Amino acid sequence: MTLDLLTTHYNYYAVALLLGIGLYTVIESPNLVKKVIGMNVFQTGIFLFFITLAFRNGGNPPVITEGAGPYVSPLPHVLILTAIVVGVSLTAVALALVVRVYSEYGTLDEDTLEQLYHD
Amino acid sequence: MPITLVEAALLTFVLGCALGAALLEDTLAAVMAFAAYSLGVSVLWLVLQAPDVGLTEAAVGAGIMTVLFLLALSNTVSPDADRLFEPIRWRTVALVGGFVLLIGATVPALPAIGDPNSPVVAGEVSQYYLANAYAETEVRNAVTAVLAAYRGFDTLGEGVVVFSAVVVTLSVLRREVVA
Repeated sequence: MTLDLLTTHYNYYAVALLLGIGLYTVIESPNLVKKVIGMNVFQTGIFLFFITLAFRNGGNPPVITEGAGPYVSPLPHVLILTAIVVGVSLTAVALALVVRVYSEYGTLDEDTLEQLYHD
Repeated sequence: MPITLVEAALLTFVLGCALGAALLEDTLAAVMAFAAYSLGVSVLWLVLQAPDVGLTEAAVGAGIMTVLFLLALSNTVSPDADRLFEPIRWRTVALVGGFVLLIGATVPALPAIGDPNSPVVAGEVSQYYLANAYAETEVRNAVTAVLAAYRGFDTLGEGVVVFSAVVVTLSVLRREVVA
């Protein structure tokens, strides 16, 4: 039963694991740059969920040509295209803030920053 | 669809790279692991018949994103790593494990991968786009048709987000020069 689910729902379990890895990095990594990487891993996990939902057996990419069907669903692809671009914008802003924090405090270590903040 | 060898290998590669990015102590090594991760994910999109997403992920995720990270690294100094991996904090692992189990518990409720009757694939909206996109927009690629025509306002919103990100990045990085 469990093995059965694993062979038919494998991508969804990968989604859960990617979300977990991303969350762990965001919470646990002391380095601010690595926290941004964790945020991106979390994001990609959600992308995998959407793209997997759009897939259908024997489906072709949604480029409409005579007699090429069936196609996978185009709508989740569009949403994820938008999300990828928004994700890059988010990363750019986050990294700019990281660089700014470094130029103000001279460290990227979370614990050191907290100490500096309390002093 | 039962899992194929290619997909199993890809998923293993992707999860391994994600773990590497999470645990490698050296920041440059973590960024490289993340670049490999993005590349693996973009191949995964191709396997899932999403070439548009795959191209974007390869160009933006593996390309631009890595450049951004390297730029951030070259403007900061991280202390030299004295070990390969960070120590694993088991309390956080337990917390995150609980979260993963919670998400994992919802998986049996989802339709099997590739089910042609799943609500997303068989749904009215998807089928409408596939049936009418070419007739109404004369664009063969349904993803482009939806992105630029049917959901054009969403894409305009995306443009606003990118514009604000550029404005914020520039204003955050600008040094105030007090003469």
